[in-house]
Amino acid sequence: MNQHIQNIAELDRVIHEPGRLMIVALLFAVERSDFLYLQHETGMNKGTLSSHLSRLEEAGYVEVVKTYRGKIPQTLLHLTDAGREAFVQYRRKLKEAL
Amino acid sequence: MDQVERLMERPKLYNNIDGVGELGMGFMCLGFALLTWLQAQSPRGAIWHKVYVVLPLMLLMASIIDYGSKTIKKHVTYPRTGFVEYKKRDNVWPAAIAFVTSALVAMGLAFAARSHWGIGSHLGLTTPAALIGLVFAAAYAYGIARVARWKWAVAGAIATCSVVIAMLPAELVGAIAVSTSGAGAFSAGAVGAWLLSILTYGAILLISGAISFVLYLRHTQPPATAAA
Repeated sequence: MNQHIQNIAELDRVIHEPGRLMIVALLFAVERSDFLYLQHETGMNKGTLSSHLSRLEEAGYVEVVKTYRGKIPQTLLHLTDAGREAFVQYRRKLKEAL
Repeated sequence: MDQVERLMERPKLYNNIDGVGELGMGFMCLGFALLTWLQAQSPRGAIWHKVYVVLPLMLLMASIIDYGSKTIKKHVTYPRTGFVEYKKRDNVWPAAIAFVTSALVAMGLAFAARSHWGIGSHLGLTTPAALIGLVFAAAYAYGIARVARWKWAVAGAIATCSVVIAMLPAELVGAIAVSTSGAGAFSAGAVGAWLLSILTYGAILLISGAISFVLYLRHTQPPATAAA
């Protein structure tokens, strides 16, 4: 198989989905953020964002911590080491494929 | 791929989405201007020239600005558009490196311009002040102006003011600090150019930050409590 095509076939499908790619790219650049920030930046509704985050959490890429800001519930999100490594690999393979 | 790279830049730009970063820098510049003016207007042995007074004052100023910025973020920005915690190295090193690099580049350019080509030698130390301003304008354009198009006008204003200050007659710039009886190791022209520069940058940043803050408040709403 052509090397370029093989690289595309090897792309991490958990990250490759556009919505999840946005989330991972944003979280990669920070230490952690909350649900509201991701909603604001991605423009997704709560249901869609929750669904993508659950998928990323299942894959072990994102750590979700439920906490409180004063009396208001806050969901903090953090890209795990596995998530960071997966995103680095994803970018490398995508660059090679392009 | 470019879109992914741009997306990764967004959290950095988010830091000044409310204009608080510019307000902080503006107050810092005006604080330095006040301190410089006090030093220029007081005799050499005055309290404003003592390190044990100047240093705590600068630390106090930085602490107040830091506390104010954090308070606005906590009570205004985070409830409206979300909380972001930056990586530690992202907070400190880029600013420190940018400051040191801009100062070194400006001094190097000024030295080369004066010693090799004789450019600006009649302007005394106003040339380095203008170069620092131009580097500052470039750093502002890269770090902040990418958020909104109108901020390119702010970068342009900073650059223009830097050039105008450099082109002002040396006597006029020096007259600002001429009443000084103790400008220390620096000439009245250098003190005047520095004072004029930081006053101008401070005012521009304050205006820009205030406009950003008002626009931010206008265009964002805190979500309902139950939805947070």
